[in-house]
Amino acid sequence: MAETTLPNKFVVGLWDHEEVYLHAVEHIRHKGIEIYDSLTPFPVHGLEDALGLKETRLHTAGFMFGATGATLALSFMTWVMTTNYPINFGGKPYWPVPSFIPITFEMTVLFAAWGMTLTYLVRNKLWPGRVPRIYDKRTTDDRFALVFNAENLNEAQIAELKEVCRKEGAVEVKDRVFTPDEQL
Amino acid sequence: MGSHQTTTVTTNEKFEFTAGIRKALHIMMGVGIVGLLLVYIFNPENGHARFWSNILLNTYYFTGISLFGLFIVAAAQLAYGGWHTLIKRVLISMGAFSMIGGFLLLFTLITGLLGWHNLYDHVKHILHDHHNEKYTNKHIFFNPPFWVARVLIYAIAWAALSYAFDKFFGEKNQIDPKVYKQSKLLSALFIVVFAVTESFVSWDMVMSLDPHWYSTLFGWYNFASYGCAGWAMSILLVIFLKSRGYLQAVNENHIHDLGKFLFGFSIFWTYLWFSQFMLQWYGNIPEDTNFWVKRFNTGYFKFTIFLSLIINFLFPLLFLIKRSAKRNFKMIGFGAALLFFGHYIDFFNYTAFEPVVREATHDSHHGGGHSSVSQRFTLLAEVHGEHNAPAEKAPTSDVPSHADVHLQNTAAPAHAPKHESHGSHSHATAHFATIGLGELMIFAGFLGLFLYFCFSRLSKRNLIVENDPYLEECKRLTVTWA
Repeated sequence: MAETTLPNKFVVGLWDHEEVYLHAVEHIRHKGIEIYDSLTPFPVHGLEDALGLKETRLHTAGFMFGATGATLALSFMTWVMTTNYPINFGGKPYWPVPSFIPITFEMTVLFAAWGMTLTYLVRNKLWPGRVPRIYDKRTTDDRFALVFNAENLNEAQIAELKEVCRKEGAVEVKDRVFTPDEQL
Repeated sequence: MGSHQTTTVTTNEKFEFTAGIRKALHIMMGVGIVGLLLVYIFNPENGHARFWSNILLNTYYFTGISLFGLFIVAAAQLAYGGWHTLIKRVLISMGAFSMIGGFLLLFTLITGLLGWHNLYDHVKHILHDHHNEKYTNKHIFFNPPFWVARVLIYAIAWAALSYAFDKFFGEKNQIDPKVYKQSKLLSALFIVVFAVTESFVSWDMVMSLDPHWYSTLFGWYNFASYGCAGWAMSILLVIFLKSRGYLQAVNENHIHDLGKFLFGFSIFWTYLWFSQFMLQWYGNIPEDTNFWVKRFNTGYFKFTIFLSLIINFLFPLLFLIKRSAKRNFKMIGFGAALLFFGHYIDFFNYTAFEPVVREATHDSHHGGGHSSVSQRFTLLAEVHGEHNAPAEKAPTSDVPSHADVHLQNTAAPAHAPKHESHGSHSHATAHFATIGLGELMIFAGFLGLFLYFCFSRLSKRNLIVENDPYLEECKRLTVTWA
């Protein structure tokens, strides 16, 4: 993620069936071939396991954002009601914790939601003006794609890779080279 | 793990209700009977109230859990759910206890009306004194024949539906489209019947213990509470069955889904608990706050209320939120067991306190005059003697001069009459409203009874509903990171 120059030369294999694709991912990884990216038109159950992805840390971030919101809300209301401007409401204590809870809850949700959304967008480089790399437009329609980094592969290796994909049921295998104007 | 090799696992396994398990359950039930006897003998105060409130508590709790097992099946069936197919029989077997649960509740009610115990003694006051505006039209709702008939209807409806679920999912070929349509009808029928009866029974059996207290979300709240216990029970049963080599196709994905529901229901329970508490705390209507004040004024119930909040909210929030905890059989098993007990404590808070109060009202009744709301307040304030003459302290319009205005102040409405002096009878009886050895023994006994029904039904048929259209889907269930 931290690399400054992204590879520009790829091999893209396209599948047309979820099951075949899932098996292909398992077999290809089993052969020790590194998969650069995987694109599917819909979430494929079991794909994370097959790809060997690590568990996302987004929910940990979410918990922390939520805890921040809760702490902020509680401490601000506590400060206002006990120190800054204590008012008696209906004979309730000056530190009426139960009536803080709904606001604390809302602040927790607000912080967690915004924090997670922004973290997600930043982490995936989805800021405005970004030109996304599209390996194949059909991955949003009816094709399941596996992308392999071909930057450091020679002709023979690329041919072998393509052969493996076809054997695993890819309906189409193609080269994809990004030109400078398609750069991220 | 890999989601594809599981399809070869044999599915037509059958649970064997072995002599060993039977023996263990018989011992548990024996312990329960001994517990009941001990409590009956050693706590004769207030018409053996500890004995009867324990029977009510456990019957209600386990009936709720058992109905919730059927509810999960019905809800998932209606929602085209497939994740639970492998454990459908386990859930339906949880429902076996509702064959008798409703009748046990009916027994508790009838014995109360016959005067064997005084859990529902208020009905006498209500019927006798129904022109008193405090009782509004409650004498209609708590008219004994109507009341008994209602509970009888719930009992029959639950038993019939429980039986029907067992029969329908056990014997019909689920893959037949016609049967599938029928299953939707049956599930919808159950949902409707359950929604109405679970609300009504919560008013009839639990909320009515304190006839002056209202909570408009009480049925909902009860549903969430034994819902948590139901998920916990299903997790524990699945883990138990797996530990004995059954349900091989069930893996951490299925337990993860159950765990997510357990977590979600825990938060749902907290939401309802807090909604109920805060509105009554904030609204500050004596009839509402009375319920909390009398509990908070007892050190023990203050403790159990906060304990139930810690176990049922903080614990799942901090422990069950993690994916790895929900996918680890030991961790989720521990969480489920703790929550199972936590929600027992929750119901304990509702059912065990009233006998103490009843004692107070009862005595005042002997002293002449009917127990009215205001008298009850005075008595309650006195029960724990922590407030010096609360009637004089009642803050209505004057602004408190210091910050520590406690909830307790609401205990004394302005119109509370000066109380006559009473003996310290309440102190003498308060000690039995605790979770002591007797409670635990009775709990174990009812758990044994529940499991006996559950395993009897489970051993009757194959452990997995075959020919279910969702069976393959369920075997391949994968819970993604998202």
